[in-house]
Amino acid sequence: MNDQITTDPSKPAQRMRAGSLTLTLAPWIISAVFLAILPQIFTNNSTLTIMNQMSITIVFALAYNMLLGQGGMLSFGHAVYAGVGGFAAMHIMNMSDFFASIPLVVLPVFAGLFGMGLAMIVGSFSTRGAGTVFAMISLGVGELIAACSVIIVAFFGGEGGVSGDRTYAQPFFGVEFLQQIEVYYLTAAWVIISAALMYLWSRTPVGRMANAVRDNPERAEFLGYSARWVRFYSFVASGFFAGVSGGLFAINYEILTEENLNTASSGVILLVTFLGGVGYFFGPIIGAIVFTLLQTVLSLSTELWAIYAGSLFLATVMFFPGGFAGLIMMHVAPFKLGKLRLLIMPYIKTLIPAAIGILGLAALVEMTFHVRHAAAGDNEMTLFWTTFDSHSLIAWAIAGAVTLIGLGIARVTAPSLKEAWDEANTAGGAS
Amino acid sequence: MSTPALELSGLKKSFGKAEIIRGIDLSIGKAERHAIIGPNGAGKSTLFNLITARFAPTAGTVKLHGENLAGLEPYQINRKGLSRSFQITNIFPKMSVFENVRCALLWSQGYKYSFWNLVSRSRLLTEGADAILEQINLLERRDLPAGTLSYAEQRALEIGITIAGGADVIMLDEPTAGMSNTETDYITDLILKVTAGKTLIMVEHDMGVVFGLADRISVLVYGEIIATGAPADVRADPKVQEAYLGAALEAEH
Amino acid sequence: MDLILVNLIDGLVTGLLLFMLSAGLTLIFSMMGVLNFAHASFYMLGAYFAYQISIALGFWMGLLIAPLIVGVLGAGVERYGLRRVHQYGHVPELIFTFGLALLIEEMVQFVWGKNQMPYSVPEILNFSAFAISGNSIPAYKIFMIFISISIFIGLLYVLTKTRVGMIIQAALSYPRTVEALGHNVPLIFMGVFGVGTALAGVAGVIAGPVLGTFPGMAFVLGSIVFVTIVIGGLGSLWGALFASLLIGWITTFAKAYNVKMESILNAIGFTTPENMDESMLRDLWSLTSPQIADILPYILMVLILIFRPAGLFGKRTQ
Repeated sequence: MNDQITTDPSKPAQRMRAGSLTLTLAPWIISAVFLAILPQIFTNNSTLTIMNQMSITIVFALAYNMLLGQGGMLSFGHAVYAGVGGFAAMHIMNMSDFFASIPLVVLPVFAGLFGMGLAMIVGSFSTRGAGTVFAMISLGVGELIAACSVIIVAFFGGEGGVSGDRTYAQPFFGVEFLQQIEVYYLTAAWVIISAALMYLWSRTPVGRMANAVRDNPERAEFLGYSARWVRFYSFVASGFFAGVSGGLFAINYEILTEENLNTASSGVILLVTFLGGVGYFFGPIIGAIVFTLLQTVLSLSTELWAIYAGSLFLATVMFFPGGFAGLIMMHVAPFKLGKLRLLIMPYIKTLIPAAIGILGLAALVEMTFHVRHAAAGDNEMTLFWTTFDSHSLIAWAIAGAVTLIGLGIARVTAPSLKEAWDEANTAGGAS
Repeated sequence: MSTPALELSGLKKSFGKAEIIRGIDLSIGKAERHAIIGPNGAGKSTLFNLITARFAPTAGTVKLHGENLAGLEPYQINRKGLSRSFQITNIFPKMSVFENVRCALLWSQGYKYSFWNLVSRSRLLTEGADAILEQINLLERRDLPAGTLSYAEQRALEIGITIAGGADVIMLDEPTAGMSNTETDYITDLILKVTAGKTLIMVEHDMGVVFGLADRISVLVYGEIIATGAPADVRADPKVQEAYLGAALEAEH
Repeated sequence: MDLILVNLIDGLVTGLLLFMLSAGLTLIFSMMGVLNFAHASFYMLGAYFAYQISIALGFWMGLLIAPLIVGVLGAGVERYGLRRVHQYGHVPELIFTFGLALLIEEMVQFVWGKNQMPYSVPEILNFSAFAISGNSIPAYKIFMIFISISIFIGLLYVLTKTRVGMIIQAALSYPRTVEALGHNVPLIFMGVFGVGTALAGVAGVIAGPVLGTFPGMAFVLGSIVFVTIVIGGLGSLWGALFASLLIGWITTFAKAYNVKMESILNAIGFTTPENMDESMLRDLWSLTSPQIADILPYILMVLILIFRPAGLFGKRTQ
């Protein structure tokens, strides 16, 4: 801290650093305040549940991105570390004497330590390489531990999983975490703490070298760093925070099952992180928020939400490998040039028809699904607040027309959007 | 005479049946500027890779300040004070120019695998990196991604990364390859400036650069050193004239 | 002794089936450096397409047409999907095929629902070929062995005797050089991807009736196929064959003989603890080989990756 106070603001380099401190602190304070007042706006319990789930996913996705985004390591089995941390937390909950002597708020630390311990064991051999070999080992270990969960019943509880009761912990300033809102604040505090720690990690020597090793492991070796050990430290740190997210899961749901460990969960976190964008620190946060909303809101209204999520994911990989964060950061250049407003009209002209077209397409998909899978004679379906006969030609014609017209307009206006985009990214000119 | 900075004895390397390096003995003194020249395919880059443990030698030893380097990993050799650049530009393209240099400083400033220090808090690191950037004339490019620099600038950055760690033995692999004359002059001056007082070993094709920089020259032909000595002696050596210039002429046609 | 023979045949069937998938996967990996996560999804598509075709045209047309459709789909995925993602590097490619696997599974559920399809062995092959001391061997198993071996011989012929095969073989070892020699590498890539997925399709067509045609079938086999080519050594066709058979036999024998961990531990000299409930290791004592049969390949893979990262037959580590 002293370092900052004694800087001389007349030197430009130092002034820039002092300025960047306020800039770096601002998002953290804003998010903390935001998380604090959120329950005042949304008061019902189901919203709190969604927000808790979001928070857990945020911690997990950030931990995952320590590997994928910052270290260049693709893991297909990262749920294992969160899961093992969570199971460990459940077992601590069930050790009544010990559990009664610790406040609930520190439970995630224990979960993190267990995740970290497992990561140290696996990392000792898996971090020799990045790339395909690392990915394969992560998959193999993930499958192995997930399969063990039905065999090693003492720890994983078999099919039924392990459950416990969080309220037996030592009261924390009189709070016993009986109510959802109390759990919310606990989770929210942990999100801020973990996110801040993970951000700080990325600013430490080993965090910087993780980026270097990701980009060019050989060069890093000729700078005195063993690529393997740099990867190992990232892996272990990521295991710790994954474990923390598992601990938060344990506190929230009070039960852990095989589902917390399996490859499907590992796949989901990859999806979340990549959707959000691996290139920026805040990417996984956006990914976690968007994905949780998709999952909860969309899955309420359609059985096919996984198809939509999958298509969105594939489209992201193919067309926007930077994810949502990449899309947002693409607009920094036009913003700096003061040309962001040039994009507003073209966006409206292209994106709104495209959105309508995609909704039309979704309607066609839903109608196909209804025709194919609804019980015989059940021709009535409800879509976009309208109820109609899924076998009637008119319905199909309308949906088809909406799709064609929407996507058609988008296609026609796309070139001018491209033009506007190029214009907005060029310095000078009319602005 | 004190121990040489770098001493190679009986160094051999075969890939399958092909023997690329066929027994090299070479001793390079402290603060000497030594150039290795030779026709294409003579094994110059392979020799570099053997010294820095990118490849394991088939036979022979490499000694740095009298210490045998056998069995050490590249990063361990680097920590002993030997640093190298690459023939193909080898930087961290997605990170900023400043970050490239800062990463190169981390180990030598004793940060190791620390996760309890913040890099931006260390004035030594920031000032050290800026000082290197000033030396290699890239201060104005400080915050650009390294991958967006021009070729000559990337080569300069490569040299900057190589010297940043404060190694006392610097190995440069064709630092001026693919450059225009002005760029070559710029890099030559830069090398002179940043390697003052250090041991320099370089592979180079540009004879102007070689004769301008080197205290001694070794000529490598088909995996063997056929001559070592002061520039004027090497130039006059009939064996060099025959083998090197002959091969060079062949390569031109 | 007779039981061993029966298990040898069963293991061979599983192993050859695995090989049909791992062969294509290995070819694709060697040429393009991409581990195709969706490979088993094409196997699943093969089974579903064949089922749909067999309703209308019978089993044999399914065997003929379904792999072709799958191959064309695979080539399309390479042309319009992978090739685009290729520019971003290997990790996005892997992520792409992973996403594709998820999407194909959802699509299959979308079209055919979540239940198992009544896709069954054709009448003409639905008899017992011969019996070994009371254990009858269905003719269909012999048919599966026959198909797999003929495909293997065909593949071997194409790879070693034809011009295209030479180029592919060269590309296995020196991909850059082959490109430099002016061969249309993108076209070869597309072709290899198409053929590889078509092979997976064939495996699906013939495995669907015995292993069941359901949305989870890709997932069940998918990761095992990965394990296979990792154990065999990424990029080695012989390694893939060896590992496929090895895994086929290991899992079959582990399931057939109920070996208890307790007896193994006793044999090494440990005594069974008196009070099992108190011990944290109680699950270890009660383990049986059929229980862990399905995870044996993973254990094998992790061990191999630790002690011989290049795999049994592999040369490349990356």
